[in-house]
Amino acid sequence: MPGLIDDIAGLRNSRVWRSVFRSGSGESNLHRSLAVQQNVFLHLASVKVRRRVLKFSATWYLGTLSLGCFLILITTGILLMLYYHPSVPQAYADMKDLQFVVSAGVFLRNLHRWSAHAMVLLVFAHLFKVFYRGAYRPPREFNWVIGVVLLMLTLFLSYTGYLLPWDQLAFWAITVGSNILAAVPVLGAKIRFLILGGHTVNANALLRFYVLHCVILPLVTVLFVAIHFWRIRKDGGLYVKEKTDDRN
Amino acid sequence: MSLRESIHSARRFLFGDSARAFGSVSAVLLVVLAVVPARDHFREWLHYQNEYQNLIRNRRDGVSLARRFQGGVQQVWLPQLGVVDRCGTCHVAMKEVSLAGIAPQPFHPHPPIPHSLTEFGCVMCHRGQGAATTVAEAHSSTLSWENPVLPARYTESSCGECHEQPLTGTPRLDDGRDLLAQYGCVRCHKVASPEGRTIAPSDHPPGLKHVAEKTSREWIFAWIKNPQSYASSARMPNFQLSDADARDISAFLISQSTPYLPEADQKIPPIPAAAGADAVQQGASVYGEAFCASCHAMQNAAGLMVGGNVGTELTRVGSKVKPEWLAQWIRNPGIYSPRTVMPHYRLEPKNIGLIMSFLGSKTDSDFLSNVHLDPATAEQIAHGKRLVTEKGCASCHDINGVPHPDNFAPDLSAVGSLQLSKIVFLPGMPHTLPDYISAKIRNPHSFGNALKMPQFTLSDSQVESLVTALLAQTTRATTLPAALRMPAPAPSTYEPAGSAGELIKDLRCFSCHKINGRGGDMAPDLTWEGSSVQRAWLVNFLKAPNTLRPALIRRMPKFDLSDEEANTLADYIETVYQTPAFDRNEIDAAKLGASDAAHGKDLFYGKYACNSCHIVDPNKDKGYIGPTLTQVGLRLNAAWIFHWLKNAQALRPGTMELNWNMNDDDARAITAFLMQQKAAAKGASK
Repeated sequence: MPGLIDDIAGLRNSRVWRSVFRSGSGESNLHRSLAVQQNVFLHLASVKVRRRVLKFSATWYLGTLSLGCFLILITTGILLMLYYHPSVPQAYADMKDLQFVVSAGVFLRNLHRWSAHAMVLLVFAHLFKVFYRGAYRPPREFNWVIGVVLLMLTLFLSYTGYLLPWDQLAFWAITVGSNILAAVPVLGAKIRFLILGGHTVNANALLRFYVLHCVILPLVTVLFVAIHFWRIRKDGGLYVKEKTDDRN
Repeated sequence: MSLRESIHSARRFLFGDSARAFGSVSAVLLVVLAVVPARDHFREWLHYQNEYQNLIRNRRDGVSLARRFQGGVQQVWLPQLGVVDRCGTCHVAMKEVSLAGIAPQPFHPHPPIPHSLTEFGCVMCHRGQGAATTVAEAHSSTLSWENPVLPARYTESSCGECHEQPLTGTPRLDDGRDLLAQYGCVRCHKVASPEGRTIAPSDHPPGLKHVAEKTSREWIFAWIKNPQSYASSARMPNFQLSDADARDISAFLISQSTPYLPEADQKIPPIPAAAGADAVQQGASVYGEAFCASCHAMQNAAGLMVGGNVGTELTRVGSKVKPEWLAQWIRNPGIYSPRTVMPHYRLEPKNIGLIMSFLGSKTDSDFLSNVHLDPATAEQIAHGKRLVTEKGCASCHDINGVPHPDNFAPDLSAVGSLQLSKIVFLPGMPHTLPDYISAKIRNPHSFGNALKMPQFTLSDSQVESLVTALLAQTTRATTLPAALRMPAPAPSTYEPAGSAGELIKDLRCFSCHKINGRGGDMAPDLTWEGSSVQRAWLVNFLKAPNTLRPALIRRMPKFDLSDEEANTLADYIETVYQTPAFDRNEIDAAKLGASDAAHGKDLFYGKYACNSCHIVDPNKDKGYIGPTLTQVGLRLNAAWIFHWLKNAQALRPGTMELNWNMNDDDARAITAFLMQQKAAAKGASK
């Protein structure tokens, strides 16, 4: 056992290791801080957190769970893209293929679908939790705005994904939704035309929704998630109540 | 230990520290992920494929069956037809004829059909969800699939999506299409092909513009209340009228009637019905000799219907028609009704009187006994006219003052593609399209009393045929590649010319015979009759038709033609109706040798066993399917017999005669034998 630990220590001092993790392996707080800050994957995480904010009751882990859903959605979404053609004759047939002949196709699609539902639910819950805890107050007011934008992005992702199965439910849901858009004063009809690429839900709408759902909205969401996390650090970490409240 | 404590300890065990929590969550994740490949492994079709392999293992031809068996998802993909069929994944033995009647479904071999299974796939004909690989999804109607598998009794409907002409393999479809025309469905409903051609009605609803001349108001009242109580074979549907409505409609129909012979000199001298003790008996003989029963039926004492279904049933005709009208009608029906299919007989007044007394005896004293109508008021007549307009009577009948309504009933041209989500089903009814259409035909009023469709009298099998024909009316017929369409040829507009042409029209030959694509199919096609028969025989036959086929009930009527008329017709038929395939005089019967004839006789009774269907020697032969040949040497030309023997289907498509593909020598020998058959005109053929 001591031999193994020595080996690991030796590995961490090796040239290759040091070329990847430049911070070295010191035990000091500076070393630890550097290990986090100088790593592209870890640098969004705090160097130090209060023990209290890690408790379940502090956040109910809602933000993390939302992120987890988002990662599942990206993974399953990419796999679904391998089987899906955004074309009128093929889209619904591809759903049927997923259901009937693709190995684990039903599982894949259901995982995507339920994760999407869960994500909408979790993001809403996250916002409520933040709101009722008062965590939106300065200095976090800008991050609250980012959060609201992320909620909107989540909803748009959900809405654009709804059309892709190209079944009756999809068609009419988007028809109704785009008609609601058309009720916007003055610009309504123009907005609908822009979204659908036409006056009715058709092949153009399917293509536009596909591009929005699979490329534009996910990229924008990733960007805003990054800003969101970064702001958490810059705004002083996760919100906790003042020490005066002795319940925590 | 209390429940609370046990939950607490379980929680501590599973999530007590971060290592335990991580382990527990990972274990759950592993289980979830294991479910997926497990479900893949226990797929339904895999079970059927294993079952099939067990089934064939112990069979003698198991090795070759196993060699042809292919595991995994089997798919027919036809992009042009929009077909992705995976039915073969479970129905693995569709091409294994040796399993017919032995293996249970899904391992039945497919019955032989003219199409390749892989060229057309399965759902083209059977509907259902071809892409599915589970039994329920493939066969049944689900939330995401509206097109369940068609019950086998309606499968012929799918043939009709491409084929418009009758096919030997689709009796039910053809029957259904005939019924649409015969029952006048297409007079109210439009039933059009993708090319826009509509089915033409083949019923003959009488015009009512002169109805008061023909019958009484009481009869009209009883008839429209319930047509089948007058004639059980009546095709007129029951409109389920109240007494008051029937009273008003009958009042209007009588009031709108005008005389059909405005010129007094067109009227024939009145012919009284023959009187006397045996007048009815003699009338029945004349009725029989004229072969009225070829078209008209009567119920006999045993309640059986005897006769044809071209004309109206005459069981109770004595309770219906007025004698003056009947005399005029029998003498020349075309005067009262120019479009009638009934021929113009040349009957003597004496015979007309006898038929009248026979038909006059066909009464039913019960039929009108309870009908007592007061004289009609103006309001009743006005109400009657409104009812006649509302009920769409003028869709079928010509009525003074009521125009023929357009688009009276829903267009049925695409009823086979009706979406289930748009149908209002009755409670307790199976939610399928065939069940819906069938219920609509069987009992239209069960869908609401406000519906105008009347109640037809149809047997179960007629309803099934109608449903089959209607299911063939899909939008798919328009979306499939045009090359697949097999439309019916345009209806013939052939008109025979000259004085013979006038005779052909006057005798209504087209009611039974087809000539150049026009006419009925009750009697032989006469398009090439001139090449077929000898002139002397034809003249005699036209004047006094004798029986050619002993097994047939429907026979050529005796019109009592004059010599001149018979000769005019025979000349025209001999000259015009000839086949271009051969010269009718190319074989001289006189030059056929006796040795040929003897050889022909051997072939007739031996190699070809013609006596199975035909009679040459009435004392010995028993065949009665085909025409009797005792006089065939007087009837047919030698060249016709020769070419008929070689390929009868080429001369008369659809004839029952088999295609023998006989060589010239055999055909010549049998021709020589048959040309010797010149039995005396009377007696031998009976």
